[in-house]
Amino acid sequence: MSAVFEGYEKQYCELSANLSKKCSSASLLDGEQKKQKISEIQSGLDTAEALIRKMDLEARGLQPNIKAVLLVKLREYKSDLNNLKSEVKRIASTNLDQAARDDLLEAGMADTLAVSANQRDRLLMSTERLNNSSNRIRESRKVMLETEELGVSLLHDLHQQRQSLLHANNTMHGVDDNISRSKKIIGNISRRMDRNKWIIGAIITVLVIAIAVILYFKLSK
Amino acid sequence: MGDHIARGEDFEKKAEKKLSGWGLFGSKYEDAADLFDKAANSFKLAKSWDQAGAVYVKLANCHLKLDSKHEAANAYADAAHCYKKSNIKESISCLEQSVNLFLDIGRLNMSARYYKEIAELYEQEQNLEQAIVYYERAADLFQSEEVTTSANQCKQKVAQFAAQLEQYQKAIEIYEEIARQSLNNNLLKYGVKGHLLNAGICQLCKGDVVAITNALERYQELDPTFSGTREYKLLRDLAAAVDEEDIAKFTDAVKEFDSMTQLDAWKTTLLLRVKEALKAKELEEDDLT
Repeated sequence: MSAVFEGYEKQYCELSANLSKKCSSASLLDGEQKKQKISEIQSGLDTAEALIRKMDLEARGLQPNIKAVLLVKLREYKSDLNNLKSEVKRIASTNLDQAARDDLLEAGMADTLAVSANQRDRLLMSTERLNNSSNRIRESRKVMLETEELGVSLLHDLHQQRQSLLHANNTMHGVDDNISRSKKIIGNISRRMDRNKWIIGAIITVLVIAIAVILYFKLSK
Repeated sequence: MGDHIARGEDFEKKAEKKLSGWGLFGSKYEDAADLFDKAANSFKLAKSWDQAGAVYVKLANCHLKLDSKHEAANAYADAAHCYKKSNIKESISCLEQSVNLFLDIGRLNMSARYYKEIAELYEQEQNLEQAIVYYERAADLFQSEEVTTSANQCKQKVAQFAAQLEQYQKAIEIYEEIARQSLNNNLLKYGVKGHLLNAGICQLCKGDVVAITNALERYQELDPTFSGTREYKLLRDLAAAVDEEDIAKFTDAVKEFDSMTQLDAWKTTLLLRVKEALKAKELEEDDLT
């Protein structure tokens, strides 16, 4: 198995040497030829990446102690490849300012590369971030459920109030009917009272007239 | 404070004198009633609830003699409210008398409301059986007055206490009934899954596995959205756990549900009972083997 790996390794070394030579020659050229060289270098870089991936797979399939050694080597090759890529980018940029910017950024990137080159740290960080976000999602789900319960009880209260209002409305109609009936009854009472007054008045006048007539006849006898 | 008590006692004495004396025909009870009312008010201001309650009772007697049952019932209700703060048994008896009077007059609404108050007082005293009796009566009266929400509320309480007292069948029927009624109502349909969950928990407490699966299917038919809810998942997992008599699975399902929404005390008690029953069955089987 490791023979395959060694084969890949040799191929990669040849390729990387080739590419670095092409890079230095391309920086001296200009215009169309430069572009040609750069495209060649790009294709070379792609092949180199494929080789590295194959080496990675091989290495992972091996024994742990050999695997550790091979993985270390692999990391070196990967950083090497990254350097080549940045070189190519720098060469491809015709603007001097751009080149200077690349230099500046590259210096900064080298530090971060060193820091996060440690894969384990990166993995830990991303796992932690994932955990945080899933916690937050769970919290928000809890809040949503509580709000839903609150909403349900509010609807229940509304239903109750609706029933009370309807009941009050009905009672009001009943009261309305009763009031109109009592109005009629009171009208009746007042009419009867008037009638009674007239009747009594009439009876009193009749009696007074009768008394007057009797007295008259009595006195005139 | 002392001023109010003194005035109250003063009014009370005057009223008593009126009652025992020979006032103008007919008016002595009314005057006495007025004075009693004022006396009770002063006692209430003085916060001496016992005296206020006693005076209200006397007031009610006056109104009874005057044949105005409505006023008497109101007076008994006031008395009960005063006694609520000090002596609960007196309060309950006053409320009962008030309720009887209201039933005589035909004001079912008020009597239903006072039945509910009595039931709440019993609930405070943790006398669950009496509370159930009175909540049932209140629910019946509310139903006949077509005030379905209050009726449903009372029935819910009945079901709650029935389940606590292990009358599971009754509780199940009530919860299913309420769920069926709430489905038609736009405002209440969001509470249906809560009711079905309660019914499901009672089914679990009964311990009959076939019935549980049948019930879950029935609830599915009742409410098509029920199967998507967390409550349904919980019930299904719990039913499976009871079937396989696996306590760990049971605890896991409960914990998962609890992590999202806190389980209230009633549900916790019932689920604990189911768990105990499971444990007992497991121990039993161990003994046999």
